[in-house]
Amino acid sequence: MELDVVDREYMYCGHVACAGCGAAIAMRFVLKALGEKTVMAIPACCWSIIAGAYPQSSLQIPVIHTAFETGGAVASGVRAALDVKGDTETTVITWAGDGGTFDIGFQALSGAVERNEDFLYVCYDNEAYMNTGVQRSSSTPYGAWTTTTPSREWKKMRKKNIVEALVAHRIPYAATASIAYPEDLVRKVKKAKAMKGSKFIHIFASCPTGWRIPSEMSIKIARMAVQTNIFPLYEVEGGVRYTINLSPRGYLVKEYFGLQGRFKHLAESDLDQIQQMVDEDWEFLQRRARAMPA
Amino acid sequence: MSHKHFKDSPLFIPSSYLTTEANKTGSWRFLRPRYDEKTAPCAVACPAGEDISRVLMLASQGLFKEAWETVLVENPFPGVCGRICHHPCETVCNRAHFDEAIATHAIERFLADTASRNELKPRLDRLPAKRERIAVAGAGPSGLAAAYFLALLGYGCDIYEAMGEPGGVLRWGVPSYRLPSGALRNEIAQIVELGVRIHCGNPVGEEFLGRAASTHDAVFVGCGCGREHGLAAAGEDLPGVEDGLELLRKVAAGNGGALEGPVAVIGGGYAAIEAARCVVRLGGKAILIYRRRREDMPASREQIAMAMEEGVEVRAGMAAVRIEAQSGEFLLTLREAQAEGGDANAGTASGRAAGKTDTIRVGRIFRAGGFDAAEQWMLPPPGDGVLRLNNSVLVFTEAGPRVFGGDLVNTSKSVAHAVASGKEAAIALDLLFREGIDSIRPELERCSVGGRRSLSMEAHMNGPRSLRSSAVVRYSEINTDYFRFSPRLTQPRLLKGERSRSFAEIDLKISANLAMREAERCFNCGICNQCDNCRLFCPDLAVVRDQSPLGRRIDYDYCKGCGICVVECPRNAMTLEEEQGPEYRGGEKD
Amino acid sequence: MKKVLEGSHAVAEAVRLAGVQVVSAYPITPQTHIVERIADFCAEGAMNARFLRVESEHSALAALIGASSMGVRTFTATSSQGLALMHELLHWASGARLPIVMADVNRALAPGWNIWDDQTDSLSQRDTGWIQLYCETGQECLDTTLLAFRLAESVNLPVMVLLDAFLLSHTYEPVDIPDQESVDAFLPPLRPRIALSTSAPRALSQMAPPNVYMEMRHSIQKAMDETAARLEELDAEFMERFGRRYGAVEAVCCADADIVLVTSGTITGTARQVVEDLRAAGQKVGLLKIKLFRPFPTTQVREVLEPVPKVAVIDRNFSFGATGIFAQELRAALYGLSRRPEVFGFVAGLGGRDVTEKVVREIYLHARDNAAPDSEAIWVGLSEVSNGA
Repeated sequence: MELDVVDREYMYCGHVACAGCGAAIAMRFVLKALGEKTVMAIPACCWSIIAGAYPQSSLQIPVIHTAFETGGAVASGVRAALDVKGDTETTVITWAGDGGTFDIGFQALSGAVERNEDFLYVCYDNEAYMNTGVQRSSSTPYGAWTTTTPSREWKKMRKKNIVEALVAHRIPYAATASIAYPEDLVRKVKKAKAMKGSKFIHIFASCPTGWRIPSEMSIKIARMAVQTNIFPLYEVEGGVRYTINLSPRGYLVKEYFGLQGRFKHLAESDLDQIQQMVDEDWEFLQRRARAMPA
Repeated sequence: MSHKHFKDSPLFIPSSYLTTEANKTGSWRFLRPRYDEKTAPCAVACPAGEDISRVLMLASQGLFKEAWETVLVENPFPGVCGRICHHPCETVCNRAHFDEAIATHAIERFLADTASRNELKPRLDRLPAKRERIAVAGAGPSGLAAAYFLALLGYGCDIYEAMGEPGGVLRWGVPSYRLPSGALRNEIAQIVELGVRIHCGNPVGEEFLGRAASTHDAVFVGCGCGREHGLAAAGEDLPGVEDGLELLRKVAAGNGGALEGPVAVIGGGYAAIEAARCVVRLGGKAILIYRRRREDMPASREQIAMAMEEGVEVRAGMAAVRIEAQSGEFLLTLREAQAEGGDANAGTASGRAAGKTDTIRVGRIFRAGGFDAAEQWMLPPPGDGVLRLNNSVLVFTEAGPRVFGGDLVNTSKSVAHAVASGKEAAIALDLLFREGIDSIRPELERCSVGGRRSLSMEAHMNGPRSLRSSAVVRYSEINTDYFRFSPRLTQPRLLKGERSRSFAEIDLKISANLAMREAERCFNCGICNQCDNCRLFCPDLAVVRDQSPLGRRIDYDYCKGCGICVVECPRNAMTLEEEQGPEYRGGEKD
Repeated sequence: MKKVLEGSHAVAEAVRLAGVQVVSAYPITPQTHIVERIADFCAEGAMNARFLRVESEHSALAALIGASSMGVRTFTATSSQGLALMHELLHWASGARLPIVMADVNRALAPGWNIWDDQTDSLSQRDTGWIQLYCETGQECLDTTLLAFRLAESVNLPVMVLLDAFLLSHTYEPVDIPDQESVDAFLPPLRPRIALSTSAPRALSQMAPPNVYMEMRHSIQKAMDETAARLEELDAEFMERFGRRYGAVEAVCCADADIVLVTSGTITGTARQVVEDLRAAGQKVGLLKIKLFRPFPTTQVREVLEPVPKVAVIDRNFSFGATGIFAQELRAALYGLSRRPEVFGFVAGLGGRDVTEKVVREIYLHARDNAAPDSEAIWVGLSEVSNGA
């Protein structure tokens, strides 16, 4: 595969991410697209640890670690400081997990987007509070086991649709991306970087530890999530113009679920129901895209 | 008044001044990935053991000369094989499970034709010259191949050929609409270029074996099957009943003559089919008669289909039982062969006994039912002192070692098997001369492709291929996420109507663009084609580029053994195995 | 230039004069006038700052943490619930050693909703590592805000400027607004010790394991230790430039006092009048105003109160399960003395209930007429209410 990016790394080896960590892969690609004139805010998440403990850093860009809820707010402050110093070139990025985006960080994100702060917000989504030990978040998918939704009480709420929530803000750019589709991911980050105003990218980042999959399946699982239409790749500009990037053959949900320990408690009837839900969501997305094409 | 300056107050905050590179996360590992190139099924199926996955990889990258040279390491006849080989590689091609097999033969031919058109000279690895000389009986594919490989190994060869031109069955048994003589000539010329001496118009007899001992250190016998072994039909010895081989020889010499009216060709193998197709081109109406079912015919399905498209009438399940001459023509009686007790009996006398008969009137009859050695000495002797290898037989005599190869000792009579026997003979003789008889079997095993029957000369010469694992890549080990369905190349051909009007080559050449596109479809099973997935997806940046042939290596100081690289390698060129501990350095082949 | 200004506007003027570069605020009564005036300044170009109209106080301080980390001068203001919401980030700002200045308009904490004067909001944040400076007058609000920036930037600790709800924030007083040039001389542009840059990338505020965390915390305390001395020097410099000084504490008639009233904020103004009247009537009473609460001015407090027989602390705040907070801190500060006064702790004015001269006088009389307090905290002016209603 050829990635049309600078063949330079902005990360160091020796970080302490789990073997096979999708979030580490996501960071690698995103930084390649952003380059060194970037300031990153990292609210509490796995990357708070992966970025290195005192006195180390695993990243080659300036990083400000922040409290859990503050991703959108800290970035707003960083942007304001750079602007007032006359620097409108440096990219400000918030790099947050799903917990710090969908739940506790949602207010600050919504506020920043409503103000159309000029920054990029990247949520790398491993679908639970992984750093604290696999507790459920509002991004945990319907049907998943987590430590707070254990097998008999598996999560019976749907995954919150964060992209659509932000699209409702008329965010200038929102997109989904996946570590299994690096060219698409890099293209979207570069596209976002070139725009002014708020941009949001929702990256599907596999977590072998929390999903109970072998570490070597990280990329493959991420690819299957896209191919089953559970995590469709699409972008929305200005909150109104939809582009679906990929219309896959539509592998069965049960094939995807069957590879992950976090879904093994589900019965056949549950899987059928989930397949219907996925098909329905995919159909709704396609309708929106048809109604509001780019 | 200036404002007060204060000494800096104590400021010790969490911030960074080092990188995480101090953490050698390689210590976490309990599984270890490594680059482990494996064997593709096509290479195993190829009797000549060509490194097909690598050939196609190079071709897809536009490195046509390198691809061609990669073929030549294992087979001096890409232009020939690309045209007439039965391509077992395509039958076992893993891509067939995905969409369609790669048209490997078309690319092989393309490479040879391109090299010849551009008058390229190959750069081949050769060992230093040795004193031993080998005499070769027959300049057919096995003899030429044996001489070629012996020359690569440093030995001088003299080939003694009865006909006026070298090539054997390639020159005299394969019509030019399948193999133009120019393509063959180019490849033979390259063999001569290595220093091999071909003495044409020089038939040899039995005494040759003993006589050669005084001038040569070994003899290779590759005389081929020159004699039709008969139909067991009454009247087949009548004057005028001809051999299909003879017809082919005449056609190859340019004096096939003209034919008209019905002409019978009896037999079902390659020679029979081609004889029939020549009959059509010479003006006759060819009737191909075969005693067993059509699906039992040794000729390929494609060959049979093309013959029928050209107007050959195929009558299967009919045995020739009697030939009678009548007013300058023949009456040929055929009987329906009913298989008693299954296929095994179909060809037997009892099988032929039953069934209704049919008598046809034909102007000429050509027998092409099966062929044997023209003379007994051309076959290896039975008994002791004989080493039977996969494609050749090594005989030890007081007058020196003799190797028998080619069609006469191979149940599969194909050009690829002929090349295989030449290679095997060359390696066996090399070992015999240098290390002794006991070294032969172990070394042949070491050089075998995928641990099976084909041999790799590159492995014998300790090239990079000798490091490759003999594990054969299965389709289930290919990560097909990285491939899209795409149709197989359609071989451009002369229009059906044009074919039977001349002896012009039917398969037309393909463009470089088409060749590359087809070669790109190859999964490159088991070998690294620099796709870079391993490096791209490593969460720990533990795959680094370097100057090694693979272009990259794993930094085991940081590799956590997650195994993503191994799974995302589309072609199973990596292996994940248990970490043995810091002392264990094995498996890293740099 | 002298103007009649609300305390809020006095703060806003100081923010303007200080050349603050990023302001981030969320509205809450009675802080609103501060940020509204600042918004005007930004809109009319009197301030070259970015004003972030964030969606909560927590985000307001978070934004300033981000901005300050980039090395610019920052300011916010809040009250009560807003300050409480910021709690987590108050710890963060001081731990990150960022010189953020915040004006907190002391307002009661809910429930029930009460927008009037009460110091419990800021005092219940006393552990967060912020310097706390309490103001008595509108002028003091302006001056303290200017001092705050200078102090914060010299010790790399955030500073809270406290002003009483309505009694200061919305009360007009004459205020001398210094000219820009004089302020610039006193408060030059920020030369940040912490400023992220892409040319020399590093991480801030990452994980600090046990082997270093204690030292980092100790570093905060060491900076706090230097604060009182630095404030005194800055005070002296401010005096030279602007002719006004406040000190960490101010002692009025304490030298021969039998009883010293200890106050903070606007109650001090009332107490001054009462002390003057009592002295005129022959009572040996003094007043100790505490301006610097964090770090607690132990040395100065001990110096003034050691020879005093009785001390009456007036707390417009309370720490439940303990006592009024100034009283508690004072008792702790005095504990190390071999000879120390009897400390009466009075609680008055919670939730904006007026602390009039009459109340102050009552407090004095209670202290005078009792040898010792009969409880650790004496609640003043409580009515009878039915319990459990």
